[in-house]
Amino acid sequence: MIGRLSRRSLLAWLGSGAAGLVFSGQARAQVAPHAATPLPSFTGPGANPYWNGVNPFVTYPQKLPLLRMTDRGVQLETPRPYFLTPFTPNAAFYVRYHLDLIPNAVDLSTWRLSLEGNFERPLQLGFEELVKNFTAVSVAAVNQCSGNSRSRFQPRVPGAQWGNGAMGNALWTGVRLRELLASARIKSGTVQLQFQGLDRGPGPEGKGADAVMKSLDLTDPALDDALVAYLMNDEPLPMLNGFPVRLVVPGKFGVYWIKHLTWIRALTKEDTNYWMATAYRIPDTPKGNTTPAEAASGTVKTVPIGHVRMPVRSFIIGPDGSSKLPSGLPVRVQGIAFSGEGSVRKVEFSEDDGRRWVEATLGADHGPYSFRIWEHTWRPSRAGKHVIAVRATDGKGNVQPDAPVWNPGGYLWNRVERQALIVGAAS
Amino acid sequence: MTGSRCLGIVLLVAAGVLDPGSTALSQATKIPGLVQEGDYAPGNLGMQMQPAPRNDDAGPVYAVGAWPTYTPPLAEGEGRELVQSFCGICHSTTYITMQPPLPSATWEVVVKKMIGTFGAPIPEPSAQAIIAYLKSHYTPETRRE
Repeated sequence: MIGRLSRRSLLAWLGSGAAGLVFSGQARAQVAPHAATPLPSFTGPGANPYWNGVNPFVTYPQKLPLLRMTDRGVQLETPRPYFLTPFTPNAAFYVRYHLDLIPNAVDLSTWRLSLEGNFERPLQLGFEELVKNFTAVSVAAVNQCSGNSRSRFQPRVPGAQWGNGAMGNALWTGVRLRELLASARIKSGTVQLQFQGLDRGPGPEGKGADAVMKSLDLTDPALDDALVAYLMNDEPLPMLNGFPVRLVVPGKFGVYWIKHLTWIRALTKEDTNYWMATAYRIPDTPKGNTTPAEAASGTVKTVPIGHVRMPVRSFIIGPDGSSKLPSGLPVRVQGIAFSGEGSVRKVEFSEDDGRRWVEATLGADHGPYSFRIWEHTWRPSRAGKHVIAVRATDGKGNVQPDAPVWNPGGYLWNRVERQALIVGAAS
Repeated sequence: MTGSRCLGIVLLVAAGVLDPGSTALSQATKIPGLVQEGDYAPGNLGMQMQPAPRNDDAGPVYAVGAWPTYTPPLAEGEGRELVQSFCGICHSTTYITMQPPLPSATWEVVVKKMIGTFGAPIPEPSAQAIIAYLKSHYTPETRRE
């Protein structure tokens, strides 16, 4: 390496302290040394200015190189270019676990999906029974982590410091939850359904560090669309996305989409386990917004994040600012939009940092819970720096705000997205 | 153009193999618009190895390989071993390095949550040492890497 450096740049490099990083090994290994300007190893206390989190590419079983958030438990972010298509490849789909005992092997001869608790006819269903004895249904739906884009928060809040890549869209195929419930004959007096998967943690029982359980009200209309899915984009689920089956709750945040789903419990009392009563709660305020001072006062009433659907969002995927654009050429700006409230009605593009908006062209409609591709041909008027922006409007008329949200959990971010671009002279 | 390639061309010229008036070097400078070419730098060979195919049997067990860990080193300092052993019971210390710099008060809340809420078996003196370590290396004032 040193043989390729000039004497002057070598001295500058030594003086910068970079040499120390090289010799300490791992810190330097987070970036390719040939990257002209590598991303920093962390961001803050300001907001993360990058589209993705700043973490390094790593490889995992059944996965393309993804961005390592944490490695035990496993949390991996999907790099930006994989969102150019409406369906996110399984091998690039983000991963988010809470606890570290993640299955490496599952035996389908002994695995059973249990429907237990307040049912007249509790069930133990094998994988084959699930596939053969129930109607197969498909839905295109976005799974997005509650804390997607948490690294945008100001002030920053603890938690997984996702950029925008803790989301993905897939065609999920499986069994309607309602059909399973009907088969097990749910008894009156049931107030909630609790879901739990095979993944566990080493913590003491009953405090949240041994198991993750999430519950939805039996009256929640989202249950009508919910599936127990055994196919993801027409393939078996990758282990890290919940093999053999996972719960799919279109419109709701990913925390309810329990992976490796193994227990469905009919509860006669509201679930008070840690993952419902303490974690994943949002202020019971418009858009889940509050302030650090209010949050610290302890007076903010909170509700489980399952009480809301994912707010409307849209993203600029290309161009991503990594290349200078020659002026005089049309620029194909493209991206995705979605809403947990139902279809995206409109996507608008701004070439002037959000002052004026024009309607973008929408791609094929894959259903109300899917990513919708959008594109717009932009003709930059001059060389120089431009800031383009995108915002979406959903079927309920909700327009993406151009104001940040803040809450202590780092949830519900859906501010208008921007991309700075350099247009260069062509002569 | 890298130094070693220039050197190679100079040597070829000196050996009379290449006529200075028609070398690749001078040709490059004549190509309209070309500013730089042939710039290579060492990549990080072996950082991402391709996975070998699995030799699965036809039975009912569906398995994948071990989950690899990619844990960056923690800042050196007093208390680091306590952090590694106690925090590492449930999660890798990547959960620390992944965070933005957090105020001292937040680290205190986080450690108390691990003990009080999740039941981490950390004796009080060790908990205090862990908090002191996190304050010394991972706040906006103290974080370096």
